[in-house]
Amino acid sequence: MTALQTIKDGLIRRNPTFVLILGMCPTLGTTSSALTGMSMGLATLAVLICSNMVISAIKNIVPDQVRIPVFIVVIASFVTVLQMVMQAWLPALYSALGIFIPLIVVNCILLGRAEAFASKNNVLLSACDGIGIGAGFTLALTAIGAVRELLGTGAVFGFRIYDSSFGALLFILAPGAFIVLGFLIALFNYIRHA
Amino acid sequence: MLEYLAIIISAILVNNIVFAQFLGICPFIGVSKNLDSALGMGMAVTFVMAVSTAVTWVLQHYVLEPLGLGYIQTIAFILVIAVLVQMLEIIMKKSSPGLYAALGVFLPLITTNCAVLGVAIIVAQKNFAFLHSIIYAVATALGFAMALAIFAGIRMQLDLVDVPRPMRGVPIALITAGILAMAFMGFSGL
Amino acid sequence: MKSSLKNMLLSLTGITILAGTILAIVNISTEKPIAEGAERTRNEAIAAILPPFDKIERSTATDSDGDTLTIYIATLEGSNTGVAVETFSNDGFGGYISIIAGFDKDGSVCGYRILQHAETPGLGANMDKWFMADDTPHNIIGSNGPLAVKADGGDIDAITGATITSRAFLQAINRARSAAMNIR
Repeated sequence: MTALQTIKDGLIRRNPTFVLILGMCPTLGTTSSALTGMSMGLATLAVLICSNMVISAIKNIVPDQVRIPVFIVVIASFVTVLQMVMQAWLPALYSALGIFIPLIVVNCILLGRAEAFASKNNVLLSACDGIGIGAGFTLALTAIGAVRELLGTGAVFGFRIYDSSFGALLFILAPGAFIVLGFLIALFNYIRHA
Repeated sequence: MLEYLAIIISAILVNNIVFAQFLGICPFIGVSKNLDSALGMGMAVTFVMAVSTAVTWVLQHYVLEPLGLGYIQTIAFILVIAVLVQMLEIIMKKSSPGLYAALGVFLPLITTNCAVLGVAIIVAQKNFAFLHSIIYAVATALGFAMALAIFAGIRMQLDLVDVPRPMRGVPIALITAGILAMAFMGFSGL
Repeated sequence: MKSSLKNMLLSLTGITILAGTILAIVNISTEKPIAEGAERTRNEAIAAILPPFDKIERSTATDSDGDTLTIYIATLEGSNTGVAVETFSNDGFGGYISIIAGFDKDGSVCGYRILQHAETPGLGANMDKWFMADDTPHNIIGSNGPLAVKADGGDIDAITGATITSRAFLQAINRARSAAMNIR
């Protein structure tokens, strides 16, 4: 398996949102606009690359039975570092994403990749897996955010496409999150199997 | 008394953890295929959420804050929850095999249920008093259990329906959840 | 690797200590930027909602409900030009709303900024612009005296579809005004 193939897999064949259906909470909770969705994706990407590399590097010195707690500590440390860095230099974004930043710890994607990939492969490949899966997650969140923002307010990334009075507020609110994600997964399924 | 009733109604209906706060979605989608396991999961989460909120509250107010260690909150809370779930599993296995048989399979899944960590963090952020925190945690968990049970009921019916191929499974479940979330919006402003 | 009690304890302790050390270092190096950032945000808000000033002094004042609010008294060349009040309401649609409101020396509203809220995006969250939109029946800038929405017999238009948020907002502003008047 090559590095490039690993990245591509993460983007499409093993897309965490549309195929693996993992990490649903931030997927729904932070995609009320394209920008917040993308930011959340990038934050997760950063943590995922770091945690994948560290876990892959220490996999041979960690005893099997305490494997999971050690992984959790590694992930939680990176999340906390990210939390502090964002609070210091990106305070507006930090408050927009709110509780979903500390909750990256319990995003099943991270522990899932640690267990399924990083604990079995070398550092380079694990980094690639992090990039691929993280980028897949970011793309998915940006897409969901863009669709919700467009339908809800008539703008994407703040650029107005049509007047906001035609926007259906529902898509910015909670029900819209579920409905848009449902249709996007169906669309992804349709394209993949067509 | 009235104040606590308001907390309970708000946590179960108005700010339902699944439909309004987007927490605990993974088990909500994953364990809602039939009513029995939905109820089991709901009970297990209620139990763990109450205990973990109590423990993390004490940890936050008597250890992290006095020592100025607020920044390790995330890591401390997740470890407490992980250890707690493990301990509960061991205790349950020894002391009440009946309960273990019913809830045991759900316990490992709860460590990565973001609703549990989420409630612990929300309670710490909003600086609730101890009793307030526990009531909030239990009510939130009941809201989760209710959402799960309603959803499982609907999904059992959905299995019998002819759904277009690409929509089968998760997509149609999410759209159903969206419609349910719309219904729950009716409670807002209570 | 095979597990034994010794290496399990060793690796867990090791990783925890390592993680703790790294976090402590990062915490120390980000503490100052975080505090500075919070201070800068507040100063910017105060500058935006008050008439020109050259000195700002932090103090506290009691509002009509007996709560103690943080206030910032602004002076220009020694004379009082206005006061900014950190105010709040617990009755928003999403609960707690925190606002900083500026009043000139006569007690008229000269601006406000929303500091924290959990109102519905697209509805209640529009309060950040709604109550200061020029030439509308919902502009509160320059108003002097208690405010209420039309539904409650006042003369302020509530945000479309968000009367509860509007009520909470005006309640916070009224509270701020009472605190601002109490210091003179």
